[in-house]
Amino acid sequence: MKLFKRILLVLLLVLLGWIWHEREALWAFPDIISAYTAKEYCSCRYVMNNDADYCRGYVKQWLPTSGFTDDAVSKTVTVSGMGRSNSAGWTGEHQGCRLQP
Amino acid sequence: MFKGLFLFLLLISCTVQAESWPGEQWPVGPKPSGTALDALEAYAFPPRDDNTRQGIRTDALLVIRDGQILYERYAGPTRVDTPHLTWSISKSLMATVLGVAYGEGLFKLDDPAVKFYPALEKHPTITMADLLHWASGLDWQEDYEYAPLKSSVVAMLYTRGHRDMAAFTADHDRYAAPGQAFRYSSGDSNLLAATLKTIVGPSRYPDYPWTALFEPLGIHSAVWETDAKGTFVASSYAYLRPRDLARIGLLMARDGRWGERQLLPRDWVAFNLQPFAGYKAHQDEAVPGGQWWLNRPADGAPSPWPDAPPDTFAALGHWGQALYVIPSEKLVIVRYGDDRDGGYRHNELLKRVLGAVRP
Repeated sequence: MKLFKRILLVLLLVLLGWIWHEREALWAFPDIISAYTAKEYCSCRYVMNNDADYCRGYVKQWLPTSGFTDDAVSKTVTVSGMGRSNSAGWTGEHQGCRLQP
Repeated sequence: MFKGLFLFLLLISCTVQAESWPGEQWPVGPKPSGTALDALEAYAFPPRDDNTRQGIRTDALLVIRDGQILYERYAGPTRVDTPHLTWSISKSLMATVLGVAYGEGLFKLDDPAVKFYPALEKHPTITMADLLHWASGLDWQEDYEYAPLKSSVVAMLYTRGHRDMAAFTADHDRYAAPGQAFRYSSGDSNLLAATLKTIVGPSRYPDYPWTALFEPLGIHSAVWETDAKGTFVASSYAYLRPRDLARIGLLMARDGRWGERQLLPRDWVAFNLQPFAGYKAHQDEAVPGGQWWLNRPADGAPSPWPDAPPDTFAALGHWGQALYVIPSEKLVIVRYGDDRDGGYRHNELLKRVLGAVRP
């Protein structure tokens, strides 16, 4: 039993060490889905000029998104998922869309 | 004397006329037909399901021979005038833009990249040629969907790196000496985009791809997205209409010449098409040259696309984007797609295109 606890403690320390080592990547990870969806939807819709329905399917990934707004006047797309929110906006004829800020 | 000159000029103009070039529109050549064309279409355009996104999903297929359109077809949402995302074809496009600057005499291949991008001070021995070969030696992880936590490219495009992609790349440690080993890296390509800012100067930089390359070729609707620093996302984010991407292919097929203008120096194109000596067999799906992919035997392995001639080269991008050039067949092929399952094969498409256009 004592040995079992010791192994568990070592495993916990290894896990904590890994979390510390990967803290930047782990902290950034939840942003991926909303940032990806906002940016690639913006480009699909306002650079490639595909229709909105097609672009919603085009950006679909295995991770779910929650909020989704596409302001057609300012050409700004905001998406939420995994507790984070990201926006992308169209900036011009030559330079297309970009994640904000 | 004058008569001789006149005859000489007549001869020159006849030679020039014998060569087809696109003006505002592409000239159209004889359309292939028959069972070989059916076999090509059966491969490239099977029934398409936008819900499951399974199988080969070609958005555009355009075949140019000798400067004339032989075949084109569009599918899904893509039209003749859609500026389609090229993904990593952008890397070869940035190399072509750099080629124009090289022709202006603004840099040399063995220049250290830090000379033009001071943020590389931790890695002062990486040269321009090393970046062009994807051989910076930086410890980069190029995975997309399958390893999102460790992926340098996902972090660069969407999270920690997106504001300044070149600085994010330069911050990586090294795993090998520069110029020795191939490791495909979108970061290396974005470092090239950052060096271009100094190479041509910050005032010319924002319009340089257009003034140097797109406008001389008659490309009017190119889009190239930047990061928040204004650096072109050379790894991923150029958008071109299929017929416009074919213009880049024709430029490369004709050794960097557009009409009577040698837009890219011949030695630049030769560098692009020279296999990188540090490449090991089967490290990637084709053999890297200078930001282009070559169908050449390398390191004891046969040509990656055995059914295409060995002088075939390509610009390739995620989800099936491709620009193939076969100088010996005078062929330029643009293939845009949205393949999500990796079933698409370059060799199979090339084999069927060659079957359909060969007399």
